[in-house]
Amino acid sequence: MIRLSQEGDGEAFGLLVERYKTKVFNLAYAWTQDRTAADDLAQEVFIKAYFSLPKFKFRSEFGTWLYRVALNHIKDYLRKNKNKMKEISLEVLGEIDLTAENVSSRQEEQAGERRKALVQAALQRLPEKHRTILTLRDMQGLSYEEIAGILGLSHGTVDSRLFRARQKLREKLAPYLGREGGEYGL
Amino acid sequence: MDCEKAERLLLGAFDGRLKAGEMIWLQDHIKGCPACQKTEQEYRVILSHLKKVDTPGPLPYFKERLLAKLQEEEKALPVLFWQRWATKALAFSLTAFILIGAGFLVFRTPEPQETSQVEALLLRDENPFTETTNILEAKGPDNGNMMLIFSSMEEKDSARR
Repeated sequence: MIRLSQEGDGEAFGLLVERYKTKVFNLAYAWTQDRTAADDLAQEVFIKAYFSLPKFKFRSEFGTWLYRVALNHIKDYLRKNKNKMKEISLEVLGEIDLTAENVSSRQEEQAGERRKALVQAALQRLPEKHRTILTLRDMQGLSYEEIAGILGLSHGTVDSRLFRARQKLREKLAPYLGREGGEYGL
Repeated sequence: MDCEKAERLLLGAFDGRLKAGEMIWLQDHIKGCPACQKTEQEYRVILSHLKKVDTPGPLPYFKERLLAKLQEEEKALPVLFWQRWATKALAFSLTAFILIGAGFLVFRTPEPQETSQVEALLLRDENPFTETTNILEAKGPDNGNMMLIFSSMEEKDSARR
């Protein structure tokens, strides 16, 4: 399918798009938190990938290569659009206890939304390299090997960076973990 | 130190990357350490929420919109190709012109200088003073000196006077 795409077969490339569009979109959304912006970014990634296909020499998995293209493109976008990024204020989210349980299903639904927003807000405050690795591992579910391939790191570095990233995220969420008498809970 | 080690192993355990021995050590440690039990609980909560963060998915007709954009980009390619080619050709021509010009100025052979009368006489193996001597002997010394001065003023190169 990839070789056919390299030869300009639009149908073959279309199949590749169908296979990877959600992953690329999710990666863009993890950073932008905006559906339209993420959709535009994902489209741009595939356009870039299409014209870069002749450079793909099968030295890595296609998915790994595509993720690399996507990450670089998203980072360029973020650098140029720092001011437009939606940043969720932890303070605005108010009193949340990530560990408490809720009484009714409606309360649970509302609480669930706020918890997700809280985790996202804390994630946004991490340094870029920690945010990247958490997105790839804990949100996208990629393996250590895939992450090492995408980021060009050794397995040992992936392991230590992931550990540090999770530690930092826990530090940021510490005030919201296991608060007594909290209304919302994880 | 044990709790630091436990925290590191804990996160490895969440990813299914622990060896049997490490897993046993971790389980034994957590059983007897309330602080690490709390740490484990907190990490479980955080990681479960990270996984739950759902995304709305791309906008409808993603593939169709993308293929339409690709067709437009491909149509624009020949124009872009010629634009890039012309720019590169111009840059190359200017560079070549400057290099060739510089090379010409640096490596050109110097123009041959005209030989003076004295040099010409010397080259013919003749005595350059013959004429001067004749002038001095033919007239008086003062007239001879004046004739020598006036004859040297015909020489254009001031270094040769």
